[in-house]
Amino acid sequence: MPSRMIRSFQGLLLLGLSIFFASKAANGQLTWYINARFIPLTIFGIIMLAILAQTVFTEIKRSRQRALAGEHDHDHAPAPSSLWFMLVPLLVGVLIPARPLDSSAFATKGFNTNAPLVSADSSALLFETDSEERNVLDWIKLFNYEEDVTQFIGQKASVIGFVYFNEDLSKNQFFVSRFVVSCCAADGFAIAMAAEWDDAATLQQDSWVLVKGTIEAITIDDRRVPMIVAESVQEVPVPSQPYLYP
Amino acid sequence: METATTPNRLSRNLIVLVTFGVLIFVAGAMLPAAFFTWLWDRMNVFATVFLGIFVEAVPYLILGTLASGLVEVFLDRDQMSKWVLGRPAAAAVSGAFMGMIFPVCECGVVPLTRRLFHKGLPLSAGISFLLAAPVLNPIVVFSTAAAFGWGEMLAWRFGLSFFIAVVTGLIFSVEKEAVNVLRPALSLHDHEHTHADVNDSFLEKIRKALMITVDEFFEMGRYLILGTVLAASLQTFIPQSALLAVGSGPILSVLIMLGLAVLLSICSTVDSFIALGFVGTFSFGSILSFLVFGPMVDIKSVMMYLQVFKRRSVFYIIAIPFMLSLLSGLLFNYLSP
Repeated sequence: MPSRMIRSFQGLLLLGLSIFFASKAANGQLTWYINARFIPLTIFGIIMLAILAQTVFTEIKRSRQRALAGEHDHDHAPAPSSLWFMLVPLLVGVLIPARPLDSSAFATKGFNTNAPLVSADSSALLFETDSEERNVLDWIKLFNYEEDVTQFIGQKASVIGFVYFNEDLSKNQFFVSRFVVSCCAADGFAIAMAAEWDDAATLQQDSWVLVKGTIEAITIDDRRVPMIVAESVQEVPVPSQPYLYP
Repeated sequence: METATTPNRLSRNLIVLVTFGVLIFVAGAMLPAAFFTWLWDRMNVFATVFLGIFVEAVPYLILGTLASGLVEVFLDRDQMSKWVLGRPAAAAVSGAFMGMIFPVCECGVVPLTRRLFHKGLPLSAGISFLLAAPVLNPIVVFSTAAAFGWGEMLAWRFGLSFFIAVVTGLIFSVEKEAVNVLRPALSLHDHEHTHADVNDSFLEKIRKALMITVDEFFEMGRYLILGTVLAASLQTFIPQSALLAVGSGPILSVLIMLGLAVLLSICSTVDSFIALGFVGTFSFGSILSFLVFGPMVDIKSVMMYLQVFKRRSVFYIIAIPFMLSLLSGLLFNYLSP
């Protein structure tokens, strides 16, 4: 490939990546891949990629002018083989429909009904929060760090998560699960809180639900874990932040 | 650079492609439908994990290559030699602390190190910079403190990373010829004659720095992508529980945490939050070894090392930190169970 064509390809790839990231940022899907606190960094990336693309296009223009003026072209474009790799993320992003991590990732990532996630002192704050404000992670943390979990029994709860059925539970029960992501989807791990509802069988695996009810404690694998006795279960769209942040 | 594609070769490629297509079709027809749902689910997990690492890493890679471009244009060889002390030990120590000035994580450190070598940085300083910078920098200090508090874990993490980086740097200082350690890098010579001219205007210099950034972004980016594909595939097909179930003895637990550090390929700026998830399941020593070894060696950084260093050197860059992290993890497990 002639040098100028390689440069054009390079510029287009940079522009393509910038547009790809920007479209993910615009439709709110960045949170399907990374922790929301890294979004400013991605915005920086989008801007830089656009600037780099612009630099390459200017370079092509200058090289053309130099060629017209009969000067020797100084630009040494890289081997095209290194460029094809940049197509991989674009192809993966375009060809495979985007989907946040769900129960199909449990097979390799596993899921936890209890997990020592954050240092114990931060759970103290959780007592202050209204019981209906707590999410799945908060409940699991509370049950993890408190010796006496009976104090939570009977508290009102309202949590959002995706449905997961599993043999550990009886027919009228299911798990409300969330992924916890510190950095990006690669470090995500699933947590789940049991729920009991008479019409549980009508729910679809992986559908997102808002479960309202009262807290009960059950034992799974010799550990006391929270279960929510549902008064209502309502299907909801995927939340704008599908993952929880520790 | 260009491969002549004769019509003959093209038709042969076509035959191979068609044969593969037919084979896949026949195999597909014989497989149960459940296999495809399974495969589709795996593909989705793969795509999400792959793009997760990629989206997270790209800004850091840009920062690293941008730093490299700016160093190339604005830093003279003479200035470099004035900064860095001649004695290997002093060079290794100052190299390890350079991360405090250039806050880069493991994606960005590789192109920057290569550029600094090109500018005449001694081997010992470069190697200890390469290994220490992803940990010994302000961002990681704060993220580790946020996860573990200003306590033992922080102190040991930074102390050990510093120690391992300096030791590895010193071992490399035995080799006097950089040529024996580094791979010849084409892209560096590309810019030899477009070298920053004293007469260049500031804007012209910036433009040159950006062009270097572009070329290095693609050059290093491909190894980042290879590494990310590998890490995402492993995460998609190998259950983590299998690794965790292998054992929790004082030796195995350290080995498993070291394996996990490589497998997960998490950015050093956030790995302490991940490590936090293992407190309780794993001992202090094994988590410490995870935090020390992970930023030095993981799948994507090894891919990038291979681009900069000769294969034998990459082996040492992996093996020395591995042995030392393993040893310190074991010492902690046995001395303070």
